[in-house]
Amino acid sequence: MADKLSWTELRKAIATRAGVSEKKAGVFLGAIQAQLVEALKTEKQVKINGLGTFRVQAVAPRKSVNVTTGEDILIEGYNKLAFTPEAGVKELVEMGASPLPSPEGKGDLIDPIQKLGAQAEEIVDILGELGQSPRASTEPEPEPVVVPEPEPVVVPEPEPEPVKEPEPEPEYEPIIVHEPEKKKKKSHFWRDTLICMLVLIAMLAAGYFFLRQELSDIIRSFIKPTQTEQVAEQPKVVAQEAEEPVVDETDAEKELIPEGELSQDEILAEFLAASEEEAKEVREEEKEEEQGGLLATEAIREGSRLTWISKRYYGSKVYWPYIYNANRDVISNPSHIDVGTPIRIPKLTQAQLDTTTTAFKQLREEAEAACKK
Amino acid sequence: MLTKEFIGLISSESGLSKKETEQMLSAMNAVIRENLMAGKAIQLQGLGVLEIKERKERVIVHPRTGERTVAPSKNQLVFRPVANVKDELKNL
Repeated sequence: MADKLSWTELRKAIATRAGVSEKKAGVFLGAIQAQLVEALKTEKQVKINGLGTFRVQAVAPRKSVNVTTGEDILIEGYNKLAFTPEAGVKELVEMGASPLPSPEGKGDLIDPIQKLGAQAEEIVDILGELGQSPRASTEPEPEPVVVPEPEPVVVPEPEPEPVKEPEPEPEYEPIIVHEPEKKKKKSHFWRDTLICMLVLIAMLAAGYFFLRQELSDIIRSFIKPTQTEQVAEQPKVVAQEAEEPVVDETDAEKELIPEGELSQDEILAEFLAASEEEAKEVREEEKEEEQGGLLATEAIREGSRLTWISKRYYGSKVYWPYIYNANRDVISNPSHIDVGTPIRIPKLTQAQLDTTTTAFKQLREEAEAACKK
Repeated sequence: MLTKEFIGLISSESGLSKKETEQMLSAMNAVIRENLMAGKAIQLQGLGVLEIKERKERVIVHPRTGERTVAPSKNQLVFRPVANVKDELKNL
C-alpha cells in the first residue's frame, strides 16, 4: 500500500490549515477518537459533512459448512462498521489519481477470457439444440479457443518442454490484438446460422401443416393409383349418366325405392320423392342437393377431415356441413368417422355457396352440435 | 447523528468552542481529501484507516438482456476499522 498519513502529520496539517495550535488540533482529534465509536454505539450512524457517513451495519446470521468435517455450522450475526463516502468525495476518488494505476495488460487478459466464456455458452446451447449429450458440450469448449489462435497447437507442447517455456501470457498478448473481432464475428456466425435453421424448420413445418392432405394424396396416388382413381372416378361417371344418381340419393336419404327397377319407375320414384319432400319441406339443403346431384364419393382415409375434403371439392373448408348433411346416415359424429366409410360429395348450387343464409347457418350449427356428441 | 450534533459532541468533549471545532473538522476533511488524492492513506489512530482501494474490473451481466459487459475498474474509498473498534461494535 501507499504510505500513510500518520496521526501526527494529520494533526500538523489540520493545525496549519485551520490556523490553530497543534495542541488544539490534538485535543480535537483526541475527542473524535474518543467520541466517534461512542456515538456509533448509541446512534448507529455518524454523518460528517465533507467526508462521508460511518454506519453500523448488521450482518445477518448465515449457514456455512465446516470445511474439514462437512458439518453445518451457523455463523452468528454481527455488526460491522461501514463507511460510505460522500458523493463528491467518492467522485474525486474515482476520477483522481489512484495509488494503483491498473496495468493495461490486465484488462486485455480479462476481456478475451470473458468472451471465451460467452462463446462457450453459446456453443453449449447450440449443441443442446442438436440433441447431443451435455457431456459432449464440455469437450468442444477448448476447440473455439484453439481454432482462432494462430499458434494453438504449439501452446500445449511447449509447456512440458523446459527449453521454450513461453508461458501463456506472452502468447496471449499477440493474440489479443486480433482476437476480439474474430470472436465477435464467429459468435455472430453461430447465432445467424441458428436463426436460419430455426426459420427453415418453421417454414417446413408450416408447409407440411397446410399441404399434408395434398401430399398424402400424391403419395397415395403413387402407391395405389388404380384404387383411388376408381373410387374417385366411378361415382362421377355414374353421376353423369343421369339416371343412377337418382338411385343413389333415394337410397341414401329415403330408402323408399329399391334398386334394379325399370328406368321409368325410377324416374317416377324420383318425382315422387321430390314432391314428397317439397311437401314436407324438411330442409332446403336436401332439396338442393337432390337437384345438384353428386360430385363424387370418397372413402374416408386415416387422418382425413371433412373440411379438407370440402376444400378439395369446393375450394373452401367452409362448406363441410354440406358433406356431413349428405352423409348423415353413415356419419354420427363428423369429427370421428370410421376409416373406409364411403362419403358422398354433393354438388352445390350457386345459392348454397352463400354462407350467410340462415339455412346454411342452421346446417352448420347442426353439424357442429354433432361433433360434440 | 448529523454533523452538527457530532460537532456539539466533540466540542463538549474537548472543551473547544463549536466554531473552532467546526473549523477544524472542515480543515480535517480538506486535509484528508488532499492526501487521498495524493495517493496517501489516512490513519485515524484508534479508529482505523481511510484508504483508496482499487475495485477490479469485472464481468457484469445485464439482468434483463443477459448481455455481458466488462465493468471498468475504479477506485473506492474504504474505511478499515481497527480490530478494537470492530470488536466493540460487533455485539451491540
